[in-house]
Amino acid sequence: MEVFLFSMFNGVLYGMLLFMLASGLTLIFSLMGVLNFAHASFFMLGAYFAYQISKYVGFWPALVFAPLLVGVVGAAVERYGLRPVHRFGHVAELLFTFGLAFVMEEVIQMIWGKVPVPYDVPAALNFAAFTWRGLDYSAYRLFMLVVSVGIFVALFLFIAKTRVGLMIQAALSHPQMVQSLGHDVPTIFMWTFGFGCALAGIAGVIGGNVLGTEPAMAITLGPIVFVVIVIGGLGSLWGALIAALFIGIMDNMAISYDIALFPIFAMFGVEREAEGIMRDLVDLTTGGIAPVLPYLLLVLMLIFRPRGLFGTRDV
Amino acid sequence: MAGILQRWGVWIAAAAVILVMPVFVTSGFYITMLNQMGVLIIFALAYNMLLGQGGMLSFGHAVYFGLAGYTVAHYLNGIGEETLPYLPVSLIPIMGGAVGLFFGVLIGFVSTRRAGTTFAMISLGFAEMVTALTLVVVTFFNGEEGIQTDRWVGPEPLGITFGSDVQVYYLIGAWCLIATAAMYALTRTPFGRMCNAVRDNPERVQFIGYSTHRIRWLAFSLSSFFAGLAGALHAVNVEHVGFETVGLAQSGLVLFMVWIGGAGIFMGPILGAILITLLNSNLSDFTDAWYLYLGLLFMTVVMFARNGLAGLIVMHEPIWKIKIGLFQKMIVPYALGIGSTLLAVAGAIGIIELAYFMSTRTTAETITHLYWVEIDAAGPVPWIASAAALAAGFAACTRTYPIMAASYNGAIAEVKALVAS
Amino acid sequence: MKHVMKLLFAGVVAVVFAVSTQTAKAVDTIKIGLIEPLSGRIAAVGKDALDAFTFAADQINKKGGVLGGIQLEIIGLDNAMNAEKTTEQLKKAVDQGLSYVIQGIGSNHAGNIIKFIDKHNKRNPGKEMVFLNHSAVTTAFTNELCSFWHFRFDANVDQKVAALVTQINRDSSIKKVYMLNQNYAYGKSFQSAAQRLLAERAPNVEIVGNELIQPFGKVQDFTPYIAKIKASGADTVLTGNWGPDMIRFVKGAVSSGLDTQFYTIYGGLTSSIGGYGSDAKAVNLKQVTEMHENHDGMPDDVHEYIAGYLAKYSDTWYADRQRWLIYMLAAAIDKAGTAAPIPVAKALEGMTFDGPLGQVTMRADDHQLQMPLVVSSITEKAPKSVKYKGNDFGVAFSTDGVADLAATTLPTTCEMKRP
Repeated sequence: MEVFLFSMFNGVLYGMLLFMLASGLTLIFSLMGVLNFAHASFFMLGAYFAYQISKYVGFWPALVFAPLLVGVVGAAVERYGLRPVHRFGHVAELLFTFGLAFVMEEVIQMIWGKVPVPYDVPAALNFAAFTWRGLDYSAYRLFMLVVSVGIFVALFLFIAKTRVGLMIQAALSHPQMVQSLGHDVPTIFMWTFGFGCALAGIAGVIGGNVLGTEPAMAITLGPIVFVVIVIGGLGSLWGALIAALFIGIMDNMAISYDIALFPIFAMFGVEREAEGIMRDLVDLTTGGIAPVLPYLLLVLMLIFRPRGLFGTRDV
Repeated sequence: MAGILQRWGVWIAAAAVILVMPVFVTSGFYITMLNQMGVLIIFALAYNMLLGQGGMLSFGHAVYFGLAGYTVAHYLNGIGEETLPYLPVSLIPIMGGAVGLFFGVLIGFVSTRRAGTTFAMISLGFAEMVTALTLVVVTFFNGEEGIQTDRWVGPEPLGITFGSDVQVYYLIGAWCLIATAAMYALTRTPFGRMCNAVRDNPERVQFIGYSTHRIRWLAFSLSSFFAGLAGALHAVNVEHVGFETVGLAQSGLVLFMVWIGGAGIFMGPILGAILITLLNSNLSDFTDAWYLYLGLLFMTVVMFARNGLAGLIVMHEPIWKIKIGLFQKMIVPYALGIGSTLLAVAGAIGIIELAYFMSTRTTAETITHLYWVEIDAAGPVPWIASAAALAAGFAACTRTYPIMAASYNGAIAEVKALVAS
Repeated sequence: MKHVMKLLFAGVVAVVFAVSTQTAKAVDTIKIGLIEPLSGRIAAVGKDALDAFTFAADQINKKGGVLGGIQLEIIGLDNAMNAEKTTEQLKKAVDQGLSYVIQGIGSNHAGNIIKFIDKHNKRNPGKEMVFLNHSAVTTAFTNELCSFWHFRFDANVDQKVAALVTQINRDSSIKKVYMLNQNYAYGKSFQSAAQRLLAERAPNVEIVGNELIQPFGKVQDFTPYIAKIKASGADTVLTGNWGPDMIRFVKGAVSSGLDTQFYTIYGGLTSSIGGYGSDAKAVNLKQVTEMHENHDGMPDDVHEYIAGYLAKYSDTWYADRQRWLIYMLAAAIDKAGTAAPIPVAKALEGMTFDGPLGQVTMRADDHQLQMPLVVSSITEKAPKSVKYKGNDFGVAFSTDGVADLAATTLPTTCEMKRP
């Protein structure tokens, strides 16, 4: 039982990091209908900005300025890149962000080099807050948890309760109407995109020093973030939260319990063999395939419930 | 005779070019590159059956390309070890196509129920899954080492062993022609037209009683067949199939080729495959920043040229068909526009090359070559010169593009007037 | 439409024709191809290799070259860490008439090169090529997959694990070992070698865990693994991880207060140390290499060579085998009296060289260089700290113990076919 609770807790910690990354993506999608393939690249940009800023003035200013900078970059990308493409439809927008992810990785390598940079957890929070089952939980990890919960609450209130949030929602469903009421819809879109990117930037500042800041971080983390928002239901903040927690917990459980999968194959009449393709299946455990599970879940979800857990419409 | 030339001229010309190419190209490296080009032309055209004709954006079409490659590699090894029945190497691509078709039918059934973003996401999910499986199912994929094979197997009819690259070149050339012709013919069938209709207006297709899922599924399966065919030829050409062939990078590359070439035009993917393969093989000898250039080229095309590079060419088709003399008036405006573009591009390349040099250099040396001129990258002069070229080029573009557009519109208006009269 | 096609093909013919004109082959240099990623994500590693080989060739040239005045030249051939491009670059090497190619980054590419050269040499007698492998460590290349045309100048996985296990056996405080490796060919060969050698050489040590993870940065969060290691009561972790799989593992372990020792092969790569950040000072990490900068008792010429290299390149000194490879190749060419590949290959067989820890020998049976190895641990106190492109990481390695030739020499199953 303790192992279960312990895995749950670790899963929640990891899941909330995923949620923090996914929140900006799902926000942009829910408000603009754009699936931003380069979202993880903005996350990476946030980590690199934070590394550079914290090198000179420390972590806390970086926590403020790095996301702001990422947000400005994002807004500029929307204004000068995405907006002209908008009239070609969503496929063109997706293609644009796909190319953008490619270019951003190259530019980041050009500026900061191809090897990982030493971006550290701030010393002020780098102490063990408590110990459970022999593992130290640093104050920083709790800080991450607090920030991600804070982001969720703030976003939820922002979209559902504030005037600006309502206006943005209206701009998505009835752009002409909102425009004729005197609001500048393109500008709303620009700042929405910038804001979503800034959220990715915060995740970068907070996650970059834990995951390691290197040029491949976007490409290894990008697909999993897609999985989160698609399973959760595109555009649903609640969905992203539940899916992120679910994937985080599933990952931890799969590794902690490490159940052998052979009995499942045996049910289908697979026999223990030393030769051939079955040889690979004999030794499979949930821990060994843990990183594949989210994709399996994604495919199953899209087959049986394409709108995701909480989605209001098909992807 | 004239009628035959009119109708088949392109194909005859293409066959002739394929036939005589090895006379001019003798180096092994360029023969391999041409082989790769042939493979990727088939793959790009297959991919465009989805993207251009069916409106389905896939991030995982390399799965069918790669799975066919793996199967064929195993089969060739089986022939070599005499555990599997003999099949002439020249017919192996059909087998690859069958493998592609099999997986295409299977996976296509679930993934083509919806188009657009859902389809793109499912394709990404499958791609990630298959990539991960290459490390799990070792007997088939053999992890990151991949499967080695030898195409020199079995009997040698007419002395054809496929030991030399030129023989493989002709094999790929022949299959490239056949596959291109087949895919071109497909676009002319009612089915091809229905694909376009499903892309442009799925609701209306449903109203007139067709199942959009069925049509997409069929298109997907056929596209996977040709992707598999290309994958088999790839295995024969390189004699190795690795996990890269099923991965996101391979799918991304073919997407780049198709979109840069022009997804809306049949010739587009061919142009894209040729151009990108040429650049991919040669540019990396000159610059480290080649991936950045590729990405920037792609983004530029997405933003400004909907139908890719082929679109830019085809746009001028009415003019040379109706009255080629109209080009005379366009020479100066076009030269201005292209000249200012080149100036801006040269400036941008200068800045990127300088930045790359400074960031990747491993010695304290700051002297390098830019445009065959020796410069000091640490000094301000080359940076200022490049930035000035970029700014001047950009400013010139804003002036010359309207002139260029006006001259094009003028010519088209004249053509319309000519046609009307 | 038709016109487009014609124009297109005409253009292609012109371009291909223009680029296919070859450069004339110079007689007074021996060109050696280096196939490594020089663009893309891993390019930094490839460039470091190019620098190391270029510098070594320069040293030979300064001393008068080979065969009484012929110069060595290293030609970088970019494979972008891609199998197809590796084949393409091999074709380019054939076109340029190169007899020697060097590669080392990525065992999968090394495997392809071995297969390619075997086929090429069979199909083109008189135009043979020799593959000099500087870093690809898959043991099979000098066992069941061994080839006359392949020479390895790095210790293979089994040799490196043998050195690690020898050192583990010397430390009586080590009782329980947890193994965590990447689930692909290299990780699995590390795993099986470690199991075999621990049983043979350190029978008192208990293996309390044996885990394979999805490789290449797929694991984001190492907490569940660290929890399992903690729960197992292990005092030592034995891992072959490299790159992000190593960096995240170490960062996770340090932040969770896991106080085991880490015995690694690649934990000390310069790029990884950069990635650890300040955690490099907190972790108890050991690596196995053929030498390191702070090792005592290395001959003066090695120190001079390193000093010369560091004066030119803003880098750190991580490996010495690039120097061995070029120096031994030069010696073999001189000994054979020709640059023709077959006599040179035969001259390389059994050749010895004075390495920093003592003599190394290219074993004729399997073309595997036999060498002593050193196990060292990361510390803040060592005199020369690890630097990379102007960054001083403030840590370096200091020697724990040397595994001599007796400890690292292992039997081979190679049955070599000689021409």
